[in-house]
Amino acid sequence: MNRRGFLASVSVVTLAAGLGLAGGYSARASEPEAVFALGSAEIGAPHHDPIRATLLSTVATLIYDRLIEQDVDQSYHPHLAESWENSPDGMNWTFKLRQGVRFHDGEPFNAATIAWWIPKFKGSPNEYLVDAVDRVEVVDDYTVRFVMKRAEPNLIYNLASSFMGIPSPKAYDAAGDNFGVTEAVGTGPFMFESFAVGQETVLVANEDYSWGSDLSNNKGAPHVKRLTLREIPDASTAFLELKTGGVGLLLGVPDQFLPQLQAEEMLDFRSLPGFGITYLAFNTRAEPFGDAAVRQATALAVDQGAILKSVFNGIGLEAHQFLISTLVESKIDPKLEIHHDLAKANELLDKAGWQRGDDGIRVKDGKPLKIKLTAQSETAIKRTAEIVQAQLKAIGMVVEIDIFDSTTVVDQLKKGQHQLAVRQYGWNNADILDWFFSTTNIPYPNSSGWQDEKSQELRNVAMQQSKTQDERVANFRKYQENLIGNFLFVPIHEPVQNYAFNKTMLDVPAKLRGTQLVQATAVDIKVIG
Amino acid sequence: MIGFTLRRLVLLLPVFFVVSLVVFFIIHLVPGDPIDNLMRAGSTPEQRLQIAAKYGLDRSLVEQYVTWMGRLLTGDLGTSIIQGRPVSALIARNLPYSLELGIAALLFSTLTGIAAGVIAASYQGTRVDDSITGFILLGSTVPSFWLGLLLILVFAVWLGWVPVSGARGWSSLILPTIAAGLGGIALVARVTRIAMIETSRQDFVTLLHAKGLPPFIIQLRHVLRHAMVPVVTILSLRIGWVLGGAVTIEYVFARPGLGSLLIRALNQRDYPLVQGCLLMLAMAVIIGALIGDIVQAAMDPRQREARA
Repeated sequence: MNRRGFLASVSVVTLAAGLGLAGGYSARASEPEAVFALGSAEIGAPHHDPIRATLLSTVATLIYDRLIEQDVDQSYHPHLAESWENSPDGMNWTFKLRQGVRFHDGEPFNAATIAWWIPKFKGSPNEYLVDAVDRVEVVDDYTVRFVMKRAEPNLIYNLASSFMGIPSPKAYDAAGDNFGVTEAVGTGPFMFESFAVGQETVLVANEDYSWGSDLSNNKGAPHVKRLTLREIPDASTAFLELKTGGVGLLLGVPDQFLPQLQAEEMLDFRSLPGFGITYLAFNTRAEPFGDAAVRQATALAVDQGAILKSVFNGIGLEAHQFLISTLVESKIDPKLEIHHDLAKANELLDKAGWQRGDDGIRVKDGKPLKIKLTAQSETAIKRTAEIVQAQLKAIGMVVEIDIFDSTTVVDQLKKGQHQLAVRQYGWNNADILDWFFSTTNIPYPNSSGWQDEKSQELRNVAMQQSKTQDERVANFRKYQENLIGNFLFVPIHEPVQNYAFNKTMLDVPAKLRGTQLVQATAVDIKVIG
Repeated sequence: MIGFTLRRLVLLLPVFFVVSLVVFFIIHLVPGDPIDNLMRAGSTPEQRLQIAAKYGLDRSLVEQYVTWMGRLLTGDLGTSIIQGRPVSALIARNLPYSLELGIAALLFSTLTGIAAGVIAASYQGTRVDDSITGFILLGSTVPSFWLGLLLILVFAVWLGWVPVSGARGWSSLILPTIAAGLGGIALVARVTRIAMIETSRQDFVTLLHAKGLPPFIIQLRHVLRHAMVPVVTILSLRIGWVLGGAVTIEYVFARPGLGSLLIRALNQRDYPLVQGCLLMLAMAVIIGALIGDIVQAAMDPRQREARA
């Protein structure tokens, strides 16, 4: 082949590839269509199989229904389970299932589905969600009983998890490892059409849907008939897509974009309460943080209000304890909450023998009060670290900031190489305290290295001996009060969840239901025009 | 020529072995491991051990390498720890997008770069040369991330001519091609310009001028042809770039591809996927260099003899 021929061939191949890829995307102008962009934390989900997933996107909540839904106030609502009952000793849960529900492949949903589904978690990354269940008994076609190994009032929370979407047994067993990749069959309001990892998932409305939960106004088929959920990693690009109408709704908007959003006439946004906390994590095995007085002084030197204003533009809430504010377990004794008190912080360090030098830096036994603050490279985290660095200077502590990517930060925490770290978690259950502070989780995720008999005893009571939800709430309050009294963390900020949409394209309900913008709201969204 | 090509191919074997060693071990030097990304709140230490055993991460690095190499020789790149899919399937899924953008950007930068280099050399020392040289300098220093966002703002947001992002058809390829190709234009133009100027000073060019051939014909037919040898070298080295050089462009324009696959795998410390992608990219660079050698040898017999 001569050079001219080669160039012509390459051009044709390139053009053909372009057109070929374009061929997979066809618009159906007659149907109400919408495009959503997934939030940055949801990007890269390798499949939509809720049983074996470690990362699931909003897509899973649209394809699969759950037995129970959780609302924004953390209350529980029936969905595929019409009602449920826990025995007084907590050892039996009985669920009455909704009748007339069918999977997208036409298979019926009934008690046999649940008897097949729960054992499927054995050996999966999500086994812990149902590991308190000993066996499932089919009482009749639409009633099942979970016989428990131990009382587990948190089962109801687990069942409302997005990982507890129920797949079609027939499709699941037939597809094997391809389930969630080439096909995904549930009973949800949207049906799977196609999925390209890291790019987009296309869903179509389930026109037979008539079993929406009471969190939605629309109990039937969704108003949007064809829904594309795109993965756009760069927040600026996603914002420009929203502005130009390439995307109708962003499922997650960084706080720093809100002023620009508010300035755009065609854009609007909705917010939901936070799903996590930004905090400082101490390593109690690394000096000077082995000393509770230094930890307390550090905690009192952090001004949550200043960080809220300067880093988060005033959006969200100041955090003064470890749990998100919508959890009842977060309502601990107000006297124990951590609030900024610079005078007391300095007084504590004076008493602990840390004396100020001429340069303002405290010294004890000839050693300066100098620490490393580990943070990951995300903008808000880096800025938080910088503000904390300035605030700790006021108590005579020199802070050197080390920035790493998130996996390297985790590696440092695992090896106990950190002293203080800016961390964030996203979890709407009090058992996050167990995750980060239980002795059994040292060295990671309990990177604080905290080992205390009393704390562990309170943890065991909260995690394993609570028979009812009320008991569990009381036990977790006591557990957190113990941890906060030992100053193992410094709560800083509770973000809100922001969702932006193009109001010339979509009509989004004024009040969002659910803990995140998921199925309950998606079925109520209408396409304009 | 056949002997030259065969000798080059045989030399690939030790290179492949060294590359496989580097590719395998380099990711293990980076802190962190993939299991951290598979652990969820509630996962137990026993589950961690199970995952490690499942993917052979509980064995020594040497054992892991031998297993990986054994599979590699049968064409098996292993299974992605995070995605649970065969690495070869994931690469195959992303490769067309990388090829599409890489080839388009390479063509764009080559054709535009050669044209700019020829014009600059033809008008050496004039304002035209200065302008093109200035553009080349600018093009090689502007970060492609920033350029990508600027192009989106102007052509997608203000003018509305093309989509902001995605990989849907030829119109979504225009801005990424320009953003990815601009740095290449600067490189190709610079090399072309210098080679053209050096070739123009050779005796045979003086002779052609003396014979009365029009300067336009001399430049395009004779000087450019001789000046192409270093340009081909540069282009052959950019074959590896075609596959993995547009990482930031893929990120800004939300395009799939090998670059974004590799970055995601690196962030998640997905060892088999990182190793598969790196091996693919390294081999593309090596094969690119081999093609460059062969093409150069075909174009210039002196090089063939010198390297024999």
